[in-house]
Amino acid sequence: MTQIRSFSDFLIRVIKIVAVLAIIGGIFVVATSFLQIMFGMSELPLPISPSDLITNPSALISLLTGLMDTDFFRISVFPGFTFVALYGAIAGLWERKLLAKMQMRVGPLYAGKVEGVLQPIADVLKLLFKELITPKGADRFLFGLVPVLTVVISTAAIAVIPVSEHWVIAQSDFGVLVIFAVLGFFPITVLITAWSSNSKFPFIGGLRALHQMVAYEIPLILSTLVAVMYSGSLNLINIVNAQSTYWFILFAPVSAIVFFICGLAEMERSPYDLPEAESELASGWLAEYSGMNFGLILGIAVYIKVYIFSALFTIFFLGGWLGPNFLPPEFWFILKTAIVTTMILLPRGVLPRSKIDVLLRQGWARFLLLAIVNIFIAIVLIQAGVIVPGAV
Amino acid sequence: MGAIDLADIVFYILAIITLASAILALEAKEIVYGALALALSLLGVAGFFILLDATFLAMFQITVYVGAIAVLIIFTVMLVRREKWVEKEGVNRVAGIFVTLLVALGMGLVVLQSNIGQRVASKEAASFTQIGVQILSLYWPVIIILSLVLSAAVIGAIALAKLDRG
Repeated sequence: MTQIRSFSDFLIRVIKIVAVLAIIGGIFVVATSFLQIMFGMSELPLPISPSDLITNPSALISLLTGLMDTDFFRISVFPGFTFVALYGAIAGLWERKLLAKMQMRVGPLYAGKVEGVLQPIADVLKLLFKELITPKGADRFLFGLVPVLTVVISTAAIAVIPVSEHWVIAQSDFGVLVIFAVLGFFPITVLITAWSSNSKFPFIGGLRALHQMVAYEIPLILSTLVAVMYSGSLNLINIVNAQSTYWFILFAPVSAIVFFICGLAEMERSPYDLPEAESELASGWLAEYSGMNFGLILGIAVYIKVYIFSALFTIFFLGGWLGPNFLPPEFWFILKTAIVTTMILLPRGVLPRSKIDVLLRQGWARFLLLAIVNIFIAIVLIQAGVIVPGAV
Repeated sequence: MGAIDLADIVFYILAIITLASAILALEAKEIVYGALALALSLLGVAGFFILLDATFLAMFQITVYVGAIAVLIIFTVMLVRREKWVEKEGVNRVAGIFVTLLVALGMGLVVLQSNIGQRVASKEAASFTQIGVQILSLYWPVIIILSLVLSAAVIGAIALAKLDRG
């Protein structure tokens, strides 16, 4: 294999791969058409035979809509990985522009003609070409495994998040429990990262991240219990449909605030980004990761978590995809999720970082109490008959 | 035997994963690998729960065991100073494995000879609303005792931490 020494080499290799695939596809089409003509076989296991495709191209539309209904499309494209990864890339660019405007700067400007819109692509290309350094004495298997594991676990949680009633990968009667079971994996990945780097700063940063995540998981789960109580079901689609009259944020504002803040702590964003403190701990538990390892953890997995929490906030408290009928429900869901994402990205430019003991005391004492307070309010409202579980 | 369907294949794969990681948890030279293998075998058990139509239980198994207990075990193991874990020389490994296999075979044959394979569950799996109703109405002493045990554990942990510091 020739070495890739420049961007034009990269492009030439991509063109070669595409050409090979096109030639293989062309041979397949010609061969099957031949077989059909010669042997009269009309029983090929294809929805449209290739020779029909050439003579009658409009049959392609029904094939495409049929393909869009399959599970594979859902997993890989729409509510699944491609959509979330694109959302993450745009959220990354949006964060940098937003923070720049707040700090009277301009942000990324040069990549792409208009205000740096191609900056995420430039970042990924840069990270792809950097060397992957493994520290001496580090555990090579785990060190290489963790970035992949982090992305896998982040993506696994989007399997039950519905973008609208029709577009969901796996409709589960225990959607809420599945999400929290998957989110419970993150402390393990942080711990393995910290340990396998074989270096002091990542170890301390990883232990702090572990303490923080474990402390804020309980108020997070308790604050979603209110939405479950009001809708009477653990299924995320039922929770959204129960908000058809009023959104739950009207009846559970304290829980919404607790969920938002605990989400900030779980995602390790400001003001709770002590584990990845840039100036304090030399970038904390990620210090030894370079190149695409870094890009996978800090780029993709973090923004996938941002999407997950924004989507969950929208589903639990803001009425999901319910909105006026002149626009499709998926549009309302994405709009609300984008607004929540902006609110998640904002505190980084505004608030100072919390100290570790203040952070932990807040998590264990104050937010737990606030979540329980709202559960009591919910119980009182349900018993008084103001809210009937199932339809607010 | 009948046709082998997807449930059988999933069962065999899960069984291999669970048993292999359980063996690895005991035999690994590097103790953090062993703790991680323990987490993997607990995940395999959660998979078995899903196969038995107890999805609710499987989710709680993952949240509690893998999300909390495995994390605590890995955390503790990581902070232990790594002296050499010396293997005693006189222990006869092969005899141990042989006896284990004999005992497992015996117990397995006893279970298979009974008519446990012919029993069919007559009701469908309990939904979580039924579990909740039963917990709050019929099994309420269990909840009270569990909450007392949890309070005792929390108070004990705080007392020990205070003793350590003061």
